This record gives sequence, C-alpha cells and structure tokens, in this order.
Amino acid sequence: MSWEFIGKYMPMYQRAAVLTLKIGIIGIAFAILVGLMSALVLYYKVPVIKRIIKMYIELSRNTPLLVQLFFIYYGFPKIGIRLDAEICGVVGLAFLGGSYMAEAFRSGLESIDKIQEESALSLGMTRFQVMRYIIFPQAIATSVPAFMANVIFLLKETSVFSSISLMDLMFTAKDLIGLYYKTTESLFMLVMFYLIILLPVSLLGSLLERRLRYAGFGN
Amino acid sequence: MLDLGIDVLFKGTNFLRLLGGLWVAMRISLISIALSIPLGLLTGVLMTSKSKIIRFIFRVYLEMIRIMPQLVLLFLVYFGTTRALGWNLSGEMASIIVFVLWGTAEMGDLVRGSLISVPKHQYESSEALGMTKGQTYLYIILPQTVRRLLPLSINLITRMIKTTSLVLMIGVVEMLKVAQQIIEANRMTSQNAAFGVFLVVFILYFLVCWPFSRLAGFLEKKWQG
Amino acid sequence: MRAITKIKRLAAVLLTMVLGFGLVACTDAAASSSGKNGSFRTVDEIKQNGTINIGVFSDKNPFGYVDENGKYQGYDVYFAERIGKDLGVKVNFVSTEAANRIEYLQTGKVDIILANFTVTKERQEEVDFALPYMNVALGVVSRNDKVITSLDNWNKNDSMIVISGTTAETYLIENYPDIPLQKFDSYATAKEAFENGTSVAWANDNTEVIAFSLQNPGYTVGIPSLGSSDTIAPAVTKGNTTLADWINGEIEGLEAEQFFHADYDATLTATYGSEYKESLVVEGGKVK
Repeated sequence: MSWEFIGKYMPMYQRAAVLTLKIGIIGIAFAILVGLMSALVLYYKVPVIKRIIKMYIELSRNTPLLVQLFFIYYGFPKIGIRLDAEICGVVGLAFLGGSYMAEAFRSGLESIDKIQEESALSLGMTRFQVMRYIIFPQAIATSVPAFMANVIFLLKETSVFSSISLMDLMFTAKDLIGLYYKTTESLFMLVMFYLIILLPVSLLGSLLERRLRYAGFGN
Repeated sequence: MLDLGIDVLFKGTNFLRLLGGLWVAMRISLISIALSIPLGLLTGVLMTSKSKIIRFIFRVYLEMIRIMPQLVLLFLVYFGTTRALGWNLSGEMASIIVFVLWGTAEMGDLVRGSLISVPKHQYESSEALGMTKGQTYLYIILPQTVRRLLPLSINLITRMIKTTSLVLMIGVVEMLKVAQQIIEANRMTSQNAAFGVFLVVFILYFLVCWPFSRLAGFLEKKWQG
Repeated sequence: MRAITKIKRLAAVLLTMVLGFGLVACTDAAASSSGKNGSFRTVDEIKQNGTINIGVFSDKNPFGYVDENGKYQGYDVYFAERIGKDLGVKVNFVSTEAANRIEYLQTGKVDIILANFTVTKERQEEVDFALPYMNVALGVVSRNDKVITSLDNWNKNDSMIVISGTTAETYLIENYPDIPLQKFDSYATAKEAFENGTSVAWANDNTEVIAFSLQNPGYTVGIPSLGSSDTIAPAVTKGNTTLADWINGEIEGLEAEQFFHADYDATLTATYGSEYKESLVVEGGKVK
C-alpha cells in the first residue's frame, strides 16, 4: 500500500465525498417528501391521483437509476430541457427514492390495525387527529428499519453518477484505477469514505429505532 | 430527430444477445434471492436473539455489507479469492456469492424489523399455551412476518436485478454491457443508437421487474382478505 | 447509566468495524504483493493447456468490439487472433474495463491484455509491457464558432471533455492541471454531452476527434496533434518473461509481412481512411 499515493489523492476523494453528500442529502430529502405524499395518497385512496401515483411507483421501482439518469441528462436536452448534471442527480435520486420511500411508509401505515382508526373515530377524533396522534407515530416506528435501509441504499446509488459525468466517490475510484493502476489504494480510500459517510447514518438508524419503539412490541 | 436508431437492434443477432444479457442478469438475481430468503429468515431470527454476542456479530455483518460498496465486494470475491486462496471462481459465481451475502443481510434486517413489530403478548400467549420456541416461530410469528415482509422483499428482488449492471466490472456480460457493445459497434453508422437501445433496455427492465411487483401486490391483497 | 452503556456499545461496534476493514485491506495488500510473483502461466503452460486468455475491450470500436453476430472484432482482436494461431492455441476473449485490466493480469485470470493499453510510467510499475504495435497522439475538437487552437491561456470557466481512463486524460492532468475536465465513462455519453453543448472542447485520441469532425458538420479539429506521442503495447503479468519474450519475437517476426499494416487495412480503414496508416502503425516494435 502506497501512503504517498493516498496522501496525494486524498483531496480528490474529499471533493467527491462532498459532492456525494450534497446530492445525496438533497435528493433524499425530496425522495422523503415524494414518498410521504405518495404513501398518504395511497392510504386515503384519493381518486385519480392514486392511479397516477401507482403508475409512477411501478415505473420508478422497476427500472434502474442508471437508465433513468441517462434519459434525464441526455434525453431532456433533445426536447429543450437542459439541466445541470448535479440537478439531474438530485432529480434522479428523488424520482427513484420517492417510490422506495412510499413503499416503506405505506407498509408502516398498513401494519396498523384498522380497528384503531375506527375506535379513535368513534371517540370523536377528527381524521387528521387520528393520523397525527394514533396512526402516524406507530407507522413511523414500524417503517424505520426499511426507511434507514433506503437512505443507505440511495446514498450508495450515487455510484452510478459516473454516467452523467459527476465525480462522486465511485467514479473517482474507478478513474484513479484506470489512470494509475493503484487498485488496492483506490478501493481502500473508497471504502474508508463510504464508512465515514454511511456508518453514522446506520448507527443513527438503530438509535432511532430503539427510541421510537413502543412498549409492548417485540421480545 | 425522430430517428432513434432502434434498427441497430435488428442487425444480426443483436436483439438475441440483448435478451441473453437480460437472462444472465435474471439468473444471477433469481439464484441469489432464492438462497437469500431462507438465509435471511434465519439471520433475522438470530438478530433478535437474546444473546448479546450473537446480536453483535450479526449487527457487524449487516453494517459491513451495507456500507461496503458492491463494486468492492465484487473485486474482493472475484480477484481477492484468487490472490489469497488461489480459487478460480467464475465471474458469475462471484456475483452470486456477493449478491447472496448482500441479500441475506438486507433480508435479515427486514425480518428483524417485522419480528419486533409483532406484539409481545403473542409470544407470551403461545408460551402459555405450551408451545415450544420453534413452534411459536413456525406457526404464530413467521406467518405474520412473511405477510409484512412481502412488499419489502419484492423491492429487494427488483433491486437485485437492477444492480446486476455492476457485474460487468468482473467480466460478466449482462444486458447493459451488451447494450453498450451494440451502441459502440454502431457508433459510426447510427449516431442516435444510444437512445433507441437504452429505451429498449428501459422497457425490458420494466417488463421483467413489473410482474414481480404485481405478484407481490396480489399476494398481499389475498392474504389480507 | 443507560446512555453510557449505549455509547460503549456504539464504540465497540465502531472499533470492530475499523479493525475488520483494516484486516481486509491488509490481507488484500499482502496478497497482491505475493500474487505479483506467482500467478501467471508460462508459454509452455499455455501451449499445454491449449487455450490462451486474452483481455480485450468489447465496446471500443474499432479497436476491440463485438459485432452484430457476437464476434469480437477490431485492431487489437486481429492481433490477438494471430497470437493464438502462431502459438497453436485457441483464443478465449475476456471482456475488460479500463478499471479492471490490471487486476486481471495480476491474478492471472488473463494471460495478455490487448485492450488499447497505453504505455505509461505508472503502469510499468504494475505490469510488464511487450514491444509497441501502435502510436497514439491526441487531438482536440471544438465548435466552428469557437475553434480552440491552443491550450495556453485557458479560460478557467470552460471545461474540456475527456473519457475516463484514456491517454488524453493522463496527458492533460500532467501537463495542463488547470484545465477543468469533465469526465465521462463512455464514448457514447461523452459524445452526447459534447453535442448538447456542456463543454467547449473534447480531447481524445486524434483519430477519434478527426473521425468525429468528419461525421459531424459544425465541428473543427483545432489541435490535430498534441504533446509527445505515446505507444500502445501488449501487457503481461509482471515477471512473466517467457510470454513477454515470445510476444516480442512475434512482433519482430511479423515485420517481414507488414502484419500491422494489413491489420490497419482490415480494421481501421473503414473509420479513419488510409491517410493515418503510417503515423499510427508501429511495425516490428520500432517507433519512428
């Protein structure tokens, strides 16, 4: 292992990490928003919109991000929409992540027994109150593992950004291997940077999960 | 601008090769998922074990697999085993090993999540009825867990099929690689081939992954009713 | 109390993981140094086995690509097939990427890499190169309304397109570190982006940019030849002298029949015409 090489290319990885994080965080924030709204639309069975959301989820979940990005970045300019590569990355992550988040939230919402909603309504609570105080807190607790897995999955999906020329961590590693053939060093730095970014997220996940777990569940 | 260059797919055996690539991607994913489901169920049960050491070991396993980029895992299994142990795995075998390691970890975590969402009184009631631990899991807990798991594990299957695009890094020629080959082989004669070919690839991925999602939706509804 | 145990537990997880990764990295490094000595096949072993594994590109037309019938074609492949014929063995083509060529050689999973492999100092530390069989020079193409004829006094807000892992990238990083590069991972994406107007210029092998400007009106090659010319050569696992020597003998022996000129005629004329033949082809391993 050549430490000299590692020292020399450290700044390149740092820049890549910043880019990965920046696009990752913004993209995931939008994905959560899209996912939450989609899950609620599906839960309340809002007519018409429900169909559109279902179509969106199927389309987004069943095709790879790589191909989605390709169309956003290279296809859109042909019809007059020109987006910056970074914005394409955010749009792509939000488009893909939205459906995964929607599934996580939906399975959380549906794991709550219908009887709870009925009881709460019969106690005179409004629909909003039922959602806010009864269903939502439990649903969130149930969806935390899937939710956190999605966050990590989406952060790692940034590795296909090389196809739209964004120098994320994966592209940096592949680029350096192609240039200088220091495979071990390049991959070692890649693992280290992923570790620095993803380990806190993962630990936060298990912490959150314990916090949000309600008494009487699990063994 | 309407010329999408789809015609390059009908030259020679191009379209058949593309389908062949899709089959490679599916074969790797389906074998991996078939192995990951039983292993994941076991891992998930072990993750909720009372023993701190067992829980800790599986925690570390999960974190490692999740955090390591798949590309690095593929390199480690494909090239690393040759260097360290002298094994000569085929690219496809190495991919399956990596995907099973990954699938088992993710599936295990999903199982764990579902297990802890089963109300505690169910465990206690079964125990009070004189059921053994194995019986409790087999007849009471797992059937409920599986239902909750289904939409999530279908996500995982489709995710695997889509992630197969990485295996080209260890010499496995799957659909995206074939697509690239076709685009590059025709780049002088058919300038827009990239769009046509990628559009077809997009549709093929969708056609393969979509039935899985539908199946999951169907089973979910059936079991709820 | 609870908070403290929690922190302790987290710290333990963290420590184990760092150790785990350290271990992985160390075994990998240790293994790679041992692998450099042992894991290759000599010429006799290859002959005995009856099959030679040659790593080529499968998506770099016209050097190494797969035609519509699934057959490997191109300048590199043409030479690879001749090697197989003269060794009296079957050729097994392995599809490689820019980022894994070196691993394939170091683990002995292929015997030779013939994947448009430019000879550089860094690469010579990792693999052994045989005699060269082709020249490369670089060129820069730009739009007609803003033709770029020199890389000096570069406007820092403009970016230059390169394909990751190519000679153009290496050259620009070393000689013009101030030019912002926009890197793409394939020819198709680089071409799309250039046409969509994301960068002012595109640097690549000069044959590539010339072919591009011939096919796309509105573009001019302002710099047809850039920097010192590099060479392309077959690579073998470090230390595999029997195979490297055999290839050297082969390349020298093929000079009499002007093999690489014939290779050019068969694979490159369709793309570049015949005017670049003399400047591209290296015959008998002798660079002019």
